[in-house]
Amino acid sequence: MSEAAIEIKDLRVDYGDFMAVHDISLSIPYGQVFGLVGPNGAGKTSTFKVLTTLMEPTYGEVSVAGFDIFESAEEARRVMAYMPDLAPVPSDLKLWEFLDFHADTHQLGGRKERRERVDECLKIVNLFDKRGAWCKELSRGQTQRLVLAKTLLHRPKVLILDEPASGLDPLSRREMRMALQALAAEGATVLVSSHILSELAEMCSSLCVMNQGRLLASGTAEEVRKALGKAERRFRTTTFGDVQDLVSWLEKKPTISALKVEEAKVDFQFTGSDEEQVQLLVEMVNAGLKIRSFEEENSSFEDILVRVAEGNREE
Amino acid sequence: MRNLENQKPVPAWKIWANPIVRRYARSRLRPASFGVALMLTILIAGFFFFVTREGSARTMSQAVDIARMPLIPLLILQGLILFGLGTGQAAAGITTEADEGVIDYQRLAPMTPLAKVVGYLFALPIREWLLFLATMPFTIYSVWKGEVPVWSITQLYSVFVMAAILYHLTGLLAGSVMKNRRWAFLASTGMVFLLYTVIPQAAKFGLVYLKYVTVYPVFNEVYPYLLARPMGEAAEAIQSFVPQARFFGLNLPQAVFTLISQAVLSFAMVMMLWRRWRKADCHLLGKVGATGLFAWLQLMLLGNALPLIASGDLFPSRELNRRFGRFVNPDLTRWKPEPWEAVAMIALYGIVTLGFLWWLTFLITPQNHTQVRGWRRARKLGQPRLPSFSDAATSTPWILAMALMGAAGWLIFSRSLVESHWYPQLSLIALAPLAMVLTLVSGGLGIQTLLEAFGRKITGMAVIMVGILPVMLAVIMGVSRDDLIAPAMWMGGICPLSWPVYGAGVCLSQEGMPRDVARATPLAFWFMQGVGVLVAIWLLGKLRASRRKISEASREG
Repeated sequence: MSEAAIEIKDLRVDYGDFMAVHDISLSIPYGQVFGLVGPNGAGKTSTFKVLTTLMEPTYGEVSVAGFDIFESAEEARRVMAYMPDLAPVPSDLKLWEFLDFHADTHQLGGRKERRERVDECLKIVNLFDKRGAWCKELSRGQTQRLVLAKTLLHRPKVLILDEPASGLDPLSRREMRMALQALAAEGATVLVSSHILSELAEMCSSLCVMNQGRLLASGTAEEVRKALGKAERRFRTTTFGDVQDLVSWLEKKPTISALKVEEAKVDFQFTGSDEEQVQLLVEMVNAGLKIRSFEEENSSFEDILVRVAEGNREE
Repeated sequence: MRNLENQKPVPAWKIWANPIVRRYARSRLRPASFGVALMLTILIAGFFFFVTREGSARTMSQAVDIARMPLIPLLILQGLILFGLGTGQAAAGITTEADEGVIDYQRLAPMTPLAKVVGYLFALPIREWLLFLATMPFTIYSVWKGEVPVWSITQLYSVFVMAAILYHLTGLLAGSVMKNRRWAFLASTGMVFLLYTVIPQAAKFGLVYLKYVTVYPVFNEVYPYLLARPMGEAAEAIQSFVPQARFFGLNLPQAVFTLISQAVLSFAMVMMLWRRWRKADCHLLGKVGATGLFAWLQLMLLGNALPLIASGDLFPSRELNRRFGRFVNPDLTRWKPEPWEAVAMIALYGIVTLGFLWWLTFLITPQNHTQVRGWRRARKLGQPRLPSFSDAATSTPWILAMALMGAAGWLIFSRSLVESHWYPQLSLIALAPLAMVLTLVSGGLGIQTLLEAFGRKITGMAVIMVGILPVMLAVIMGVSRDDLIAPAMWMGGICPLSWPVYGAGVCLSQEGMPRDVARATPLAFWFMQGVGVLVAIWLLGKLRASRRKISEASREG
């Protein structure tokens, strides 16, 4: 069995002339909650569909829990679970019947064993009191929770969740986060995509950012933020002298752009190296600009993704 | 909890343990809705049972005869339930799953593709199967009291069940390619309706094999036992003229041949569904499978038709003469077929062959995106060309092989028919083989190259402009004025589906045809064949350029 829970090598997905995923490679170890972040059309869902054997890629090698998904699709399906975006449910089944059917496909024992596991999963997602209700009667959030319960049924080694938090209220989100972290603590790997980035940062031990089918960065939340924030470093300086003098001085520097002034604060973008940054500060002090503070702004995940998405639109 | 990784999936044959069957048994057999359907079915079956029994009791004295009377009405009811509703439910059920989006869950279920096919096959129409079973006590009672031979009724119901499975598989196939559940229901029930109305007519015009996809052959064999004995004896006398199932030199019981025919077709459909469950975006049939199916259909069409020529049983007028001719002409030996029957049968054989060819072309010809993906994958794997049997590979050689195979079959059929002792005055012209090859090769490759090089939308437009519009104009011209009949023949000749009809006329003498038609038909046919060949060559050139472009584009991407 492979060391990694999910191993992707040179994966490419095309829809006609449109390239949804471009030669990505990724390795996710066991016991991690791994986040996949990216704007719409980044290629997240296509990657998930390949991972879950729902789609054949143009090319690439993919293994899940040590099973090559093209050679041993059935074995891979036994140990993985998938929750799609806008998770659908059948209209003609009750909650417990829906879960019992999936427990049956995974051969989770006899009727009694299956029923116990179904009830257990319904309790995890707080839907036990609705076990006899029709699936079609559930709200959006309840439907998401029901499908989450379905994915937990067979205690999968790898869970792949596409936007699982959409439609959930804050309490349910917290419960889902705790449930996923508990699974990861037991050794399962959770691959999750979301647009609620701050939540992903809280939940995930590692994550990667995708855009236009490519992986832009991966690692811990801090590593990703640094990697993607670095090209566009923004600084903030404050002065107790004349702010207009400071602005005039900064405007003359070729490495500085996008100045924003707010009372005594000046935000700007700097494209120089670390040494040039030190030199800039020395020059500002030597120029007598009465600098009170000078600091680099940390890019938030939202900022990073908004900029990535805006970049797509401009293209 | 068990070790799930090492667990073997439920075998496909264990239908009762199939989770999909259990899931639909739960949702489609809820007491409230199933109870109503069951009550209605028993009421209707009971009504037929009693009304036919009590009605016939007034005119018949023998209990055996009275007991047999409900059998045919019950069979019709069972057909409506299992063939009509069951097939519609199979198609609509699978479309509903796709529509609701839950079909992806089933794709992810760790079951074998075959278990999924078998599961849906018996699960979706599970209510209809039970309703059918609910009517069976009436049938069994009638069989028992009517002293119907067990062997006859067993043959009939074996074929009945096999046919239901075949139709349900067709429904599943229709459901898996159609998006709208209502259309899927209507299309599949419509198909069953056509099978029992239109197709038997085609079977009377030389395509004998087609009747074996219905229960008619076995019904015709056993129906004397389903009637009151006096009527049954009369029917049995007529039935003695009904030929056995003939397949080349073999003489088989109708039930056996029907079962074999339907089982092979069912197998082909299971293969198609199996492929879809294995890979959602693959072609329904592979190249070899499609060519094999085409060859098998040709073999069946010929195998059933050729042995019936010498006896005259293949000809439609023979059937009419046998049923009704005795009233006007008791001497069957004086019957002989008309020349138009040969023309009609040859034309129909060509049309059906071309139709099969187009259907299989549609199934195995790669679309643009499939080719692009195939090339990219080949490049990544360092392959200089696409694997010949892959979905992405061109279908040209396969269509060409099928067209030649079809032309050979068509020629054998035509020659056997025309050169039989029935038509001493007729013969095939020397150019008949060329006419048949050109018709099928240009017709087949035309559609194939259009599909592969230009895609489905442009092919659809071409079908409307070349296949439908000229025929409509020709009909309008033909019915408006006599002097426009010849131009109408030219106009109609643009449609490739008319080529087999014209070809059949051209290959035989034009004796008996109106003068304008006789003169215009060969000219129009050969001219259109010339145009067809040129267009096919031009399209092949376009296809080559398109494939080269795709190959280059995949290098850049």
